[in-house]
Amino acid sequence: MRTTVCPVCNGARLRKEALSVLIDGKSIYDVASMSALKVLEFIGKLSLTPREKAIGERVVTEIVSRLTFLTEVGLGYLALDRTAPSLSGGEAQRIRLATQVGSKLTGITYVLDEPTIGLHPRDNRRLIDTLKSLRDIGNTVIVVEHDEETIRSADFIVDIGPGAGEKGGRVVAEGGVDDIIKKRDSLTGGYLSGDITIPVPAIRRQPKGHIKIEGASEHNLKNIDVSFPLGVFTCVTGVSGSGKSTLVIDTLYNALGKKLYRSKENVGRHDKLSGDDGIDKVVNVEQTPIGRTPRSNPATYTGIFTPIRDLFAMLPQANIKGYKPGRFSFNVKEGRCPVCLGHGVVKIEMHFLPDVYVTCERCGGNRYNSETLEVKYNGKNIAEVLDMTVSEAAEFFKNVPHIKSKLDVLEAVGLEYIRLGQPATTLSGGEAQRIKLSRELSRRATGKTLYILDEPTIGLHFDDVRKLIDVLQRLTEMGNTVIVIEHNLDVIKSADHIIDMGPEGGEAGGYVVAEGTPEEVAANRTSSTGSFLREILAPQRIHSKGMN
Amino acid sequence: MRSIKITGAREHNLKDISLSLPRRKLVVITGVSGSGKSSLAFDTLFAEGQRRYMESLSAYARQFVDKIDKPDVDSIEGLSPSVSVDQKTFQRNPRSTVGTITEIYDFLRLLYARLGKPHCPDCGIEITAQSLDRMIERVSGLGDGERVYIYSPIIRGRKGEYKKELDDLRREGFLRVRIDGEVRDLDEEIKIERQKKHTIELLVDVIALRGGERTERIADSLRLALRRSGGVARVETASGEGMTLSDKFACPQCGMSYPEISPRLFSFNSPYGSCPECQGMGETWFCDPELFIDEELSLEEGAIIPWSGSNYFKNILENVAAHYAIDMTVPFKKLPAKAKKIIINGSGGEDILQEGKGRQGYKAP
Repeated sequence: MRTTVCPVCNGARLRKEALSVLIDGKSIYDVASMSALKVLEFIGKLSLTPREKAIGERVVTEIVSRLTFLTEVGLGYLALDRTAPSLSGGEAQRIRLATQVGSKLTGITYVLDEPTIGLHPRDNRRLIDTLKSLRDIGNTVIVVEHDEETIRSADFIVDIGPGAGEKGGRVVAEGGVDDIIKKRDSLTGGYLSGDITIPVPAIRRQPKGHIKIEGASEHNLKNIDVSFPLGVFTCVTGVSGSGKSTLVIDTLYNALGKKLYRSKENVGRHDKLSGDDGIDKVVNVEQTPIGRTPRSNPATYTGIFTPIRDLFAMLPQANIKGYKPGRFSFNVKEGRCPVCLGHGVVKIEMHFLPDVYVTCERCGGNRYNSETLEVKYNGKNIAEVLDMTVSEAAEFFKNVPHIKSKLDVLEAVGLEYIRLGQPATTLSGGEAQRIKLSRELSRRATGKTLYILDEPTIGLHFDDVRKLIDVLQRLTEMGNTVIVIEHNLDVIKSADHIIDMGPEGGEAGGYVVAEGTPEEVAANRTSSTGSFLREILAPQRIHSKGMN
Repeated sequence: MRSIKITGAREHNLKDISLSLPRRKLVVITGVSGSGKSSLAFDTLFAEGQRRYMESLSAYARQFVDKIDKPDVDSIEGLSPSVSVDQKTFQRNPRSTVGTITEIYDFLRLLYARLGKPHCPDCGIEITAQSLDRMIERVSGLGDGERVYIYSPIIRGRKGEYKKELDDLRREGFLRVRIDGEVRDLDEEIKIERQKKHTIELLVDVIALRGGERTERIADSLRLALRRSGGVARVETASGEGMTLSDKFACPQCGMSYPEISPRLFSFNSPYGSCPECQGMGETWFCDPELFIDEELSLEEGAIIPWSGSNYFKNILENVAAHYAIDMTVPFKKLPAKAKKIIINGSGGEDILQEGKGRQGYKAP
């Protein structure tokens, strides 16, 4: 089954009577399908009789104030009929922010999780102003954020670190921006002061060919021809709603998926796709969690667990008892703890009080039964191995090449601190993404794979962005093609090729505004991405010349 | 209280940290991924704020709320009620839209219910509902000295002879009617064609407007006209200028009557407003053959993917194919359009005998 626009209401969702009630010649659906900015304009231009004005005045005020909040958080391009599932996490969060600002409550502590996610730098300022206005009416606003501009706008900064996982959890620095910068061991401070920077690559790679899409016209795309260079790292940029995802995911990815895997996804409208001979695999690396169950963990996901279990099953102790590899999985009946069934914790229901989770008494939280734990490799049992961090495990398995090589890749993507058995539910989006990338890196390179990433820097600290760029560069070095949709300037400047969409969001977007190397785009006066790039490329180029 | 004092936070990887955050300020918590930022902001600060609020509720009320564990922290002082604006806990229901979440749509609905001008969905003409007083006002306003004709449209564009209706009018003492735009005396014999659509308007009264003195008569005549037609009256002047009046929301042309115009009419999540076809989802399901048919294979090779490997369905298919002379050995894409249609949509209720254990008859799929 597939869905199609309802033939009766044409997507308006309402019965014809409701759609025949008009204000200034427009039905409620006509209005709801406009962007917030357009609705604001429409409401402003309403011609009302004095009687109508008296009736509608308060309603109009409410509508206008809410629309204004929506535009202030940079969502003026959103149509009112956009459904909740079609919104990105960042958009959804900013909508909630807009409603909060509208509530005008005071004395509240607001806690926000990375509100600038997915915002073009152009819209950042407006969002920060919204946060400040929330503060100014008497609220405490606590923001978890990596964005430099937001950090600089803060009244008070807390830098948690210094590393991740077990190496983190301390307050490294606190105070104003100056206090943070002064702290020698604060990574954030290092990036803020400019002592640490992500270097601009000295050379841009040359493409090995091109994939061409002709006549792309899905959503707001304006019948455009785009060619994506192969064998290089391409970044697709543009303000929110300019058509980046429509072009890269809906059109390019789905069209290739259909061709290569006979996928049944709906492909964005386009006339012709050519030049894809050099591609035999297309992978979309998303930031979705690697698993929503605590039974999934980095070891199971990356496939390291299988050779580890095989290894344990081959040990003499296991052989004597006839243990198969399955015995060493906490998901299989033979090996797991019979009380907690391999969960490690037991849920005690307290009826009208919250349920309480207690560590399993039988296994002490290690998930296995005692017979299984008797089998030891180099003095460690399977539970102890799962409790190792990636770097500890890499040392422990240094003589087992096929396990070691996978662990090395996890270290390379900067995940040396996670524990092999850490439940997938406790991994952050950035960590999940890098685990997925590590799985790609450990595959044998065909050099013909196209990787697509939609805003991979979401939720990443400066230093995590640096690690991510390293991984992407390595994937490209292996001969693959990488296409990234991104707002982050550090990623944009590190790309070999940029495709800038725009000029605005929604109906005013859907064109390719500029393309070429970062330097070429920076030179383009019509591109807003270009003007941000100019600022960031210029001093560094001068700097590097100065050093030579 | 000028600040929020946190003492001994140990949630997740936090290392027993103590710090104080200024209140009424913009505070940014930063650090590398996995360093414990969220553990501090959400799992400690927000969780404690929310938990304290929950604690203030009765035990009975608390059973309906999700469990909130006490965060692992010694103490937090100066915490005010907290609201979390994160990216995960968000409505993922396709019935939620930007408009409904922000409540803009709710206000728009109110605006449309109060100020919207209803139009007939079929004829496109504006429909107005008025009180009798307002109608009288409008009729009187047609001008001094004008003669106004008040009609009651009793039949609107429907087929029939309407003999009985005309007889009834005659008996009640009415004098004239207008049939399909032509005024006729009820005294004469009126024959109308049965197979054609007709519009019959009863001439209720002819009034010469003179100052304000005739309002009583206008009111009576309008009331009568509205009653006879079920809510619509047509008023015309001698010069042909006219207007249609209605005390309900009904189309003057086709008589389509409007439901009450209330905010719920504009809600796609209410049965009063939603499109009857898609129940307000804006999209409908349809069966896309591409999803279950492999065009490269023949019927014999299992072109119908979910049926391949089943002898039961293969039997049915063979029977049907034999009945309609469909070649089971050519790839599906090469079959004639008609054969494809029979396979996908069926042939429409024709019974085909299916030989089987029970010799039962099956319909073509």
